[in-house]
Amino acid sequence: MKLTGRARLLVFFAVPVALMSIVRLWSGEDALTSSDTIGASLRLSVPILLAGMAGLWAERCGVLNIGIEGMMIFGTWFGGWGAWQFGPWVGLMFAVVGGMLGGLIHAVATVRFNVDQIISGVVLNLLAFFGVRYMSDLAFVGQPGGGVSQSPPQTSAIPRFDIPVLSGGEVFGWKSPNILLNLEERGWFFVSDLAGILHGLTHNLSWGTVIGVAAVPATFWILWRTRIGLRLRSSGESPVAAETLGVNVIRLRYLGLLVSGGLAGYAGGILSIVASSYYRQGQTAGRGYIGLATMIFGNWRPVGVLGGASLFGYAEGVKLVANDAISTLFLFVALAAVLLVVAAVVNRNTTRGIVTAFVAVIAAYTYLAIDDVPESLTQSLPYFATLVVLATASQRLRPPAMAGIPYRRGESH
Amino acid sequence: MRKHKGLKSAALALAAFALIASACGSDDEAADDVSDDTEATEEVADEASDPCEGTDLKLGLAFDTGGRGDGTFNDSAARGADQAATELCYTVQELEATTDDDRKPNLEALSGAGNNPVIVVGFAFGGVIEEIAAANPDTVYGWVDGYLDLPNVKTLTFAEHEGSFLVGAAAALKSATGTIGFIGGQEIDLIKKFEAGYIAGAKAINPDIVVKSQYLGAAGDNAAWGSPDKAKEIALAWYKDGADIVYTAAGGSGRGTIEAAVEAGEGKWAIGVDSDEYFVDTDEQKQHRLTSMLKRVDNAVYLTAQAVKDGDLSGGFKVFDLSTDGVGYATTGGYLDDVVDQLEELKAKVISGEIVVPTQP
Repeated sequence: MKLTGRARLLVFFAVPVALMSIVRLWSGEDALTSSDTIGASLRLSVPILLAGMAGLWAERCGVLNIGIEGMMIFGTWFGGWGAWQFGPWVGLMFAVVGGMLGGLIHAVATVRFNVDQIISGVVLNLLAFFGVRYMSDLAFVGQPGGGVSQSPPQTSAIPRFDIPVLSGGEVFGWKSPNILLNLEERGWFFVSDLAGILHGLTHNLSWGTVIGVAAVPATFWILWRTRIGLRLRSSGESPVAAETLGVNVIRLRYLGLLVSGGLAGYAGGILSIVASSYYRQGQTAGRGYIGLATMIFGNWRPVGVLGGASLFGYAEGVKLVANDAISTLFLFVALAAVLLVVAAVVNRNTTRGIVTAFVAVIAAYTYLAIDDVPESLTQSLPYFATLVVLATASQRLRPPAMAGIPYRRGESH
Repeated sequence: MRKHKGLKSAALALAAFALIASACGSDDEAADDVSDDTEATEEVADEASDPCEGTDLKLGLAFDTGGRGDGTFNDSAARGADQAATELCYTVQELEATTDDDRKPNLEALSGAGNNPVIVVGFAFGGVIEEIAAANPDTVYGWVDGYLDLPNVKTLTFAEHEGSFLVGAAAALKSATGTIGFIGGQEIDLIKKFEAGYIAGAKAINPDIVVKSQYLGAAGDNAAWGSPDKAKEIALAWYKDGADIVYTAAGGSGRGTIEAAVEAGEGKWAIGVDSDEYFVDTDEQKQHRLTSMLKRVDNAVYLTAQAVKDGDLSGGFKVFDLSTDGVGYATTGGYLDDVVDQLEELKAKVISGEIVVPTQP
């Protein structure tokens, strides 16, 4: 059963929404596709998405980046400090610069001095964690509300807006109709769910979030549609061949890591400026590593990373905003797995059929047996989902061929 | 030539780092502050030169994650230590557990430096303190939020459920919508005491009140104390859903709740925890800070220091409750002025035992 590109996209989007709608009507939990849940999920996804993009840029140019977490820490600190001193926009710029600083350290260590890429990344994480503590000691201690582990609160924020016509935003003072909210509130099958999702994505948006999401098309365009992108990717796939063709692999790897650091730094800035209004130690909470998981999940491609980040963000959003509905998520997983079993049977793919059938049984059992899902289980849900995806799709994942292998200039001679 | 170029870029990186570090250091306000501080200590030294002459009392303070300046729990302990320094002539040595691995070395260092007492802030020192206390039988430990009876450990616990009872009652009295919320940090017995008291207090005023409840993390998930973004998402959804007052017992995550209250606008309130969070709020946030549940860790720290100074080296449990002002509620901002009489009445009933506040939700 082969589908064309457009039909596949439709199936990948419409089928889950329809399943969601069925689950919603069955269980009466409107929160699953409500605009509140989706809005929260979007805001929770963006830092993970940017961390995944940071990993993508680094590995595409041929360098593993375990140090994303550290670069994000630099981003939260510099962002928090800059925003507190000079306002949120300058703060975001500082966050990017702080992350790029981390990227530069990683680049000097791995590209110039050929330090083991894993070691350098781990060291960077430690350096960032303790380095920003030292800087907090200098900058925040003694300020009202500040201390060695946190910055004083910022007094202004990045503006937010609603998209006109779709979600009732204002155009030159004219209050436009809120079509999507109107549709969402009717409770119709499919249509209202779709409207709820779109309303969540189009209202109360922060410009910081919008810029973050724009990293996806920008990354795709630069890496897959421009000359420099092709050269950068070839540095990750086959640096020897690239250099024989006159590509400066070293310079491109520096560039890739600087962009990677900048994206990670921006992710940190989102956490300390948009998602909250102060820097706090530990704010990144392992999102750098989750970002790496989404990169693998997304097969080192921007849209795939977006999908992985949305999955994590949605699971987190449901957990926080619609905790009562979390058990119905297992019902959704069970139904989706049953569909995948059917698809596997049609395609005569025995392994996948068995794996997905197994998942369907577990999810269905969880839904029927557990009334009150324990906190520790809901927290592991996105990781569980990632494992399932990796288990079923790992045969088709393909990392850049030479990511992680040090390269010395002139190695081809 | 190539080597040269590489060295140049490494030097550049170093220079950039140094530039940024020095930029932070030479920040004007920070510099002013440092000079203020030195003046202040000089003054104290001048003033206290007579009474503290010749004393060599040393107090060790082992902070939990967050440390001095967290605006809530650790800051409360820090105030107690500061008071002990000025009034009881203690020299204070502080160490903060940046990660869980720091707890043991911090306690070893503070004990080894001859501090007595050593104040240990936070339940998370369990599993470490037993060993340290056994190895240093002559040192007295004051363990805030502790849960074990040890011979040289003064276990300092608080009736958080009683304080939470009063802020719950305050929330019910001030709520216009009849729906309020509670956000907890880790889902552990200690934080459930806050939740249980809050719900009981709210129901004591209005039996029909709806109390939403949500935890940020499972037991052991330390990110739960530092996730303002997640607390903000929960609070935003609740405020939109009709709740108008949200109480957060989750350390630094509580900053997210007050941000959500500001964003949600007029008539939405946040309740702080441990310290009076009004004092670390921005002017805008102060408009939404209904009250804070006060956990007087400062009193416990000060009283422990005083007891040791007076020669009381015994261990055992010390409970700080409403009757000794070990817990309470803040009235800064004046938003509770119209209900303070009712709250005091409830407080008297709790102290007299007429109302027994549950510790489990």
